[in-house]
Amino acid sequence: MTVKHHRLRRAALALPLGIALLAAGCGRSAGPASAGGTAAGNVSPTAGLVLTTPAGTKQVPSVTWAVYRDVETLDPMSAFDYPENTAISLMCESLLLQAPDGALRPGLATVANPSPTQMVFTLKPGVTFWNGQPVTPADVVYSLDRQMNPANGGFYGQVFSDVRSIQATGTSQVTITLTKPDYWLEGELASMPGIILSKSYTQQQGKNYGTPAGGIMCTGPYELKSFAAGAGVTAVVNPHYWNTAVKPLVQQIVIKGVPDITSFTSGMLTGAIQGSYFFGASTLDQLEHSSAVHVYQGPGQSTDALVVSAASGPLANAKVRQALSLALNRQGIISSVYKGAALMPRWLANPGTFGYGTSVFNAAYDRSPVMSQNLAQAKKLVQQAGVAGQTITLGTSSQLSSISAETGAYQAAAQAIGLKVALKSVSADNYINFFESAQARKGIDGFITVNYGDYADPAALLSTIVMPGASQNYDNYNNPQITALLEQARGTAGADARAALVAKAEQLAAQQLPWIPDAQPTNVLFLSSNLTGAVASFSYMFAPWADQLGGKS
Amino acid sequence: MRWRFLLRRLAMLAGTLLVASFVIFGSLYVAPGSPLAALSGGRALPPSSLHVLELRYHLNAPFLAQYWYWLDGALHGNLGISITLRENVSTLIASRVWTTAGLVLYASVIIALIGIGLGIVSGLRPGKVDTSSLVATALTAAVPSFVAAIVLILLFAVRLRWFPALGNGSGLLSDVQHLTLPAIALALSSLAIVARVTRTAIREEADREHVQTAVSRGIPARQLVRRHILRNAAIPITTITGITVASLIAVAAVVETAFSLNGLGSYLVQAAQTKDLAVVQGISLVLVTAFVVVNLVVDVLYALLDPRVAAGVRAR
Repeated sequence: MTVKHHRLRRAALALPLGIALLAAGCGRSAGPASAGGTAAGNVSPTAGLVLTTPAGTKQVPSVTWAVYRDVETLDPMSAFDYPENTAISLMCESLLLQAPDGALRPGLATVANPSPTQMVFTLKPGVTFWNGQPVTPADVVYSLDRQMNPANGGFYGQVFSDVRSIQATGTSQVTITLTKPDYWLEGELASMPGIILSKSYTQQQGKNYGTPAGGIMCTGPYELKSFAAGAGVTAVVNPHYWNTAVKPLVQQIVIKGVPDITSFTSGMLTGAIQGSYFFGASTLDQLEHSSAVHVYQGPGQSTDALVVSAASGPLANAKVRQALSLALNRQGIISSVYKGAALMPRWLANPGTFGYGTSVFNAAYDRSPVMSQNLAQAKKLVQQAGVAGQTITLGTSSQLSSISAETGAYQAAAQAIGLKVALKSVSADNYINFFESAQARKGIDGFITVNYGDYADPAALLSTIVMPGASQNYDNYNNPQITALLEQARGTAGADARAALVAKAEQLAAQQLPWIPDAQPTNVLFLSSNLTGAVASFSYMFAPWADQLGGKS
Repeated sequence: MRWRFLLRRLAMLAGTLLVASFVIFGSLYVAPGSPLAALSGGRALPPSSLHVLELRYHLNAPFLAQYWYWLDGALHGNLGISITLRENVSTLIASRVWTTAGLVLYASVIIALIGIGLGIVSGLRPGKVDTSSLVATALTAAVPSFVAAIVLILLFAVRLRWFPALGNGSGLLSDVQHLTLPAIALALSSLAIVARVTRTAIREEADREHVQTAVSRGIPARQLVRRHILRNAAIPITTITGITVASLIAVAAVVETAFSLNGLGSYLVQAAQTKDLAVVQGISLVLVTAFVVVNLVVDVLYALLDPRVAAGVRAR
């Protein structure tokens, strides 16, 4: 399963997150407050966060939407970061759809499982591309093959590792045959890997597909009007949208890269920018206090954590990781780095990822302890491990203020329990090499990340960290029990049964700490105060978010 | 004589561009990190996908071969393709060059008019005007462009709403409106320096013997200032204005970022971060050319201002 790293290029520009605390009322709308159903007796861990904002009622000619840098490609195969996802999810649709609460719904197609190794997709009747041509099984097979084939250099090839074949099996039917049951694939097909492109258009554009020169051809409620380098992406309402139940109110949305936080803030305050999912805006409390801007917080799906990359040394010992975790001042991180816009972790997963089996997840989450500070217990563990006085080396970048602030919190925690800390600071641009290159990680025991999976499932992130050979398993971590639970979950059909297995794996991971979670950021939405209707949860990254956006009457 | 001068300068420009392109290419090549990091977005791609990307962008070719690929293309008018946007670099530059050109030109006009004007006035009128202009220029000279940008945005865009806070305009009038705050932010500290150098040059000339003689001959003040003071002070004023205008080209990046303008400078920074070699090369060459051209203009101006200076001979 694939995971996108939080882009550190972006962190280089964005200063620490600064959202006022989850204070009641402060600029938050009275939208539906429950993120997924909650079982009786359990308070939802995401209670108080909003999934969407109340639907707009008035037509609006044009809205300028800020992303932290210019969109670089509109090809879903190469989309990996906030700007690309924001633009593509506005205009393109996937086979299945991730609802604002993370639940999977039919998208362009419905899915059935005649056997555990067969997924049969039936296209909805009347589904068409922007140019009016109907979506055919050939388009579906082509789009998925294109993602799967490594020769195309796409980012999501590994997602299809259990796929034996993808075939058109009817006039509106496509069957995916698997080598073994894989219930994680559905989630991926509700995300970038599942987006359906026009075969003829894509073939015609060849290498130019998704670039400013080639454009795209999708099915969504908004169609591409222009994609010019520097000027951003302009999308206009698709007058032939197949889903007649959806009637967008905003005629045109311009997605513009605004890398500078001052520029973003003044843009929001003056109305030059009318909306954004800007992550890590240090001026957030200022924006929250402005009457021109409304700030909403929705469930997030990303996790802020310390990546443990040490295969030997003190951090390779679970007891030492537990001690470090117990000594860490997470409240300090949440208030200084996130200014309150994050939840205290219990698991590695953000509770915003509970997209299925929600009551099972909520109940298990409720039973798990909050990772709060306990220095006495931490010191005891270090003594048991016999590592007092030893040194751990953390990778950091003094140019990335949020990263260096969190590294500082770890430094304080380690020193408090008698460990020594050496820092290896690299430039902001080179921080990404800790993820990319084993050479750069040499001698580094850990480094900070903000990480998320492709869809709402705690396993989406966890599996990349703990499964042997997985993309983010930097320390060759192998816990047979967690691996077995996740593998079993992947092949389990029932949502609740699968959730129970994943919950167990998360609980184990919360004890064994393959990575040490620091905070669970919420998803922050900024809207001009005369607009409403945008999706507020992290699902905007994968599914249309402006269908109900419009003016207030 | 004139032709030889021009030809020589053109040859110098070509040489400068060649050396600069090699140095920029080389330093980006040896700098740590790889465009693959930008291409893959930090995801762990399977080796087969990585191989495809490496082949597509000649990432595995030796350094000199990579440089040759680029140089050969550039000599044929093809500046290459941006790795991140997969678009021709010349198209990318063309869509941004007018923003930067407009910004630098606007700022230069502000510097020339207000900077030199202020310098002349305070040079000729010692007293209150001079003192207050000294204080003002001392303050603005110390304010870097990015601070000026924040203050200007806060005051004139957010508070007073006289000017837009960010972005490019559409149409000439709206362009001017959008570029006003950035141009002021860009010009402010250079303006102060130009004003001060102008003031000193004027003072110096005014105290010279030929001016004293002219005064004693009863030459009207107007003529005195124009023909005896300004003309002689013009050389240092031109020098400092030329240098500051040339430096604006580099500083523009900061201002463009602060105001979210789609200019070459901010794009250069962005491209350097993602190791988008072809873009960095292309923009650098445009900037180096602009720099050389500004200096050429200054040299020509020397010859026009002072008949003793022949074109091609450095004036002092």
